[in-house]
Amino acid sequence: MYWHILKKDLKRKKTMNIILLLFVLLASMFIASGVSNMVTIFSALDNYFEMAEVPFHWLIFNDMANKDKYKDFAAGNNYDFQFNEMVSASADNIKVNGKKLDFSNVICIETLEDPLNIFDSMDNEITTVNDGEIYVTSSLFFSEKNNFKTGCKMQITLNGKTRDFILKDYAKNAICSSSMMGITKVLISRNDYNYLKSGNPGSSGLLWECSVYTDDRDYNTKVSEVAFSSLTRSDYDGIKLMYIVDVVVAATVLLVSICIILISMVMLRFTINFTMNEEFREIGVMKAVGIRNGSIKLLYIVKYLAISITGAAAGFILSIPFGNILLQSISRNIVVSGNTGYMLNFLLALVTVFIVILFCYFCTRNINKISPVSAIRNGGTGERYARKGVINLWKSRLVPVPFMALNDILSKPGRYFSMALVFTLGILLIIIPVNTINTLHSGELTELFGMAKSDHVISQEILLQEDGSGTESIKENIESLKKELGRNNIDAVVFQEALFKADILYNDRRMEVLAEQGNGDTDDGIYQYIEGTPPANPDEIAVTSVVAKEMDVGIGDYVEASIGSIKEKYIITAVFQSMQNMGSGIRIYHNKDTRDILPAGVLGIQVKYNDNPDSSLLKERKKLLEQFYPDDNVYTAGGYITVMMGDITGQIDGVKNLILCIVFCINILVTVLMSKSFITKEKSGIAILKAVGFNNIQLACWQTLRIVIILFISAVLSILLSTPLSQLLIAPVFRMMGAYSIEFDINALEVYLLYPSAIFAVTSFAAFVSSQGVRKIPASQASDIE
Amino acid sequence: MDTILEVKNLCKTYIINKRQNNVLKNVTFSIKAGDMTAIMGASGSGKSTLLYSVSGMDNITAGEVKFCGTDIPGMNENQLAKLRLNKMGFIFQQMYMLKNLSILDNIILPARQSRKIKERYSETAGRGRDLMRKLGISDIADNDINEVSGGQLQRACICRSMINKPDIIFADEPTGALDRTASGEVMEELACINNEGTTVMLVTHDVRVAARCTRLLYIADGNIEGEYNLGRCTGSTKLRERERQVSNWLMEMGW
Repeated sequence: MYWHILKKDLKRKKTMNIILLLFVLLASMFIASGVSNMVTIFSALDNYFEMAEVPFHWLIFNDMANKDKYKDFAAGNNYDFQFNEMVSASADNIKVNGKKLDFSNVICIETLEDPLNIFDSMDNEITTVNDGEIYVTSSLFFSEKNNFKTGCKMQITLNGKTRDFILKDYAKNAICSSSMMGITKVLISRNDYNYLKSGNPGSSGLLWECSVYTDDRDYNTKVSEVAFSSLTRSDYDGIKLMYIVDVVVAATVLLVSICIILISMVMLRFTINFTMNEEFREIGVMKAVGIRNGSIKLLYIVKYLAISITGAAAGFILSIPFGNILLQSISRNIVVSGNTGYMLNFLLALVTVFIVILFCYFCTRNINKISPVSAIRNGGTGERYARKGVINLWKSRLVPVPFMALNDILSKPGRYFSMALVFTLGILLIIIPVNTINTLHSGELTELFGMAKSDHVISQEILLQEDGSGTESIKENIESLKKELGRNNIDAVVFQEALFKADILYNDRRMEVLAEQGNGDTDDGIYQYIEGTPPANPDEIAVTSVVAKEMDVGIGDYVEASIGSIKEKYIITAVFQSMQNMGSGIRIYHNKDTRDILPAGVLGIQVKYNDNPDSSLLKERKKLLEQFYPDDNVYTAGGYITVMMGDITGQIDGVKNLILCIVFCINILVTVLMSKSFITKEKSGIAILKAVGFNNIQLACWQTLRIVIILFISAVLSILLSTPLSQLLIAPVFRMMGAYSIEFDINALEVYLLYPSAIFAVTSFAAFVSSQGVRKIPASQASDIE
Repeated sequence: MDTILEVKNLCKTYIINKRQNNVLKNVTFSIKAGDMTAIMGASGSGKSTLLYSVSGMDNITAGEVKFCGTDIPGMNENQLAKLRLNKMGFIFQQMYMLKNLSILDNIILPARQSRKIKERYSETAGRGRDLMRKLGISDIADNDINEVSGGQLQRACICRSMINKPDIIFADEPTGALDRTASGEVMEELACINNEGTTVMLVTHDVRVAARCTRLLYIADGNIEGEYNLGRCTGSTKLRERERQVSNWLMEMGW
């Protein structure tokens, strides 16, 4: 008997049952892929580092003496360590498809003797590199302007030795693949390496990378006692922190996953409530003929179980490709091996079934309370008694169609809550990454990189040589540019940041930092400080907020700092914020004599014009600078930051596009399904309206307009919430990178108009198309109203 | 009197599970303006189908239906909607109204949509209230549809059908869901409307309802099997006599 009723029910209420099935399918797909991705993302970086065998400490030396000094230190402490020889190169040495490489980081050419396990784009470990083949790290591969493609031709020329290569693939190098790492590697065969190296006289141009696999708690204390200088160094946690961009991207994917899980839950609740309300008349009839409450409940639970198992099974299958699409955006730089297998997806699909049954059970609780008559006459909770529409047509100036749409929403706001929530979350999911991307693109970040504001930046991040010509050559460069500008009657200040590896000590606390020193026209207080006065004497420094917090120091405190091999006492005079070296930095007095210290690197040469040129004049001057430096790139301040941050904006842009697609799909699905649900439920009303003379277009507009009003409310709500939520969700990530106070760059056109309008247009179109379902309801159906 | 509705050789066929069901077979009749015609017949004889076919609510399979000289089957959906809005009124057995609107709003909704009568919004509301007053339901104007009785709701539906001053009102068992008293009141109102000049075509099983009509059509197996002219009902005294005449005629028709 029950099976018979069930079979009939499934057939008769085909539309509502299909809608429920589709919602269960969507929910299980979203829940399975969302939770599975969350688990994967949380463990992804640790798993990858384990697979890649990332060392506890990592250093690069560019001179033999310091390398040997460190070797003795490591051997003396019985550390398990390994050296890897590399050849240094710059963009000038490399051509891609005949064009000079456009890249500002230091490039290290190495072989597979790197102790690190390196993976290809398919996450397979690279075990052989044939002669003539080359792999580049993902940060280089995805850099803008170079158009790297697998199979493209590359040429490396070092000291007169040239070798042609075919790009085999990109490599995931756990240490150098992150967007924030200033060193990039290319991987070639031993024969090719030896050939290129043979042009170098002696050890010139060679770099030695040291990986320490011993986890010594006292390492920092011991190493600070040894006076040596390295080009760069980091530890396990530091390398991990470099993946902040990937973490941001992963966090975004995580946020998307959480949102879609939330959306699924809301939609499930809506659909089950909606369909259960439809059942009340039949429940009343069953009660009237004497079927017990338990049996009625069982009937519906069996029905919902059948639908949810079918939907969840399909959702489980679809969750696998959907989850992979979501993960693709974060697996560009890292090996996402935390694949939880499909068991978790399966379990989560089962959880969805359980949730559906639970919702169903709670909805059927009313069966006990209502009498058969009230169920038959009023459809249970689906009706109301005292309350009617809050606005009156006879008082209103609106024409009937918009009036009915507005009145429906105001009469039953709860019915539209799920839809409003889905739309609001969708728009927010777009706006927040857009705000982040725009902020990253804006020149405002220049100061967060410890640089002063400027109009143009010439990318000249030369790898300074050991011969002491470091800071001298910087000054020469600046003077020569100033002369050139003067010859062209351009009044400008020119300056360049030199970066030194340093350690600071305070009350037994030690911290590795990057010391920044401005060279050139840096006298006029061009740097911004959060508090205090700029260092004005050789024994004065400014520290970043991160250093102040980590070392528990403030203005007026004395700290000991080793810059290069020179250890001195300094007084802190100011605090500033910087995202260089993840915020671990100090600024030294610009006139301090650093001739004897080898800089770890320099930033681009900055030019700030004193005559406030307009945009066309700026373009002209950019061209002029490009003529002065034909081999280098000239950027605007914002453009330089984009290059410095690697492909962070590209990555987030990719995620943003993915989210945009997902939001479009979710909005379309939710709109179509809800619209169909409404039409099914309002069949009688539609038939009556047709009978009294409303045509199909007017009825479709009525159905569409309700969704459009909800969309509009959601868009306004999202716009209002977007800035505070961006601050709440993204500012902590910037804080992790060292920027404690960040003003989001809100592009009003994009945030308030472009994206909300795009979502508005797509969803409204979907609503209008699905509202055409009213055409299928004939006016004569008005006579069949139950 | 002019012919308002002319039906010739009307056929309506449903195909259910590949089985052809000829519900209406070459039905021919006409209705004159000001008539109050009742379609009677056994359940499943095709009464309602005939009503919906001639009113343009449902498509026909073959034949001609002319309303005020206009060919209804040749009209598209929009033209039919406009016709229903401006020239026709409908009353159904189930007194369905939009749940989110008050009774008055439900009544004036077609008028606000139509604009057939050029007037201010306040005048439309006033007309709605006048109609309600006339049908004795003015006190429920601002009520919710769940707060009133079936009889009141059916009278509200009559008001809705009247709001655009239609040429004809189609009623499908308008008293089918009402008790005897409410049914009598509703029929009284329909007779009044008819007396004022509006043509009424209704479907009913009820002899008492049919007795108030001027003309009866008997339908059996998809054909008009008989016609009976009762003439205009002038007072309650004659009503019983009319009911007896209708009953006798129905017995002759094999009811």
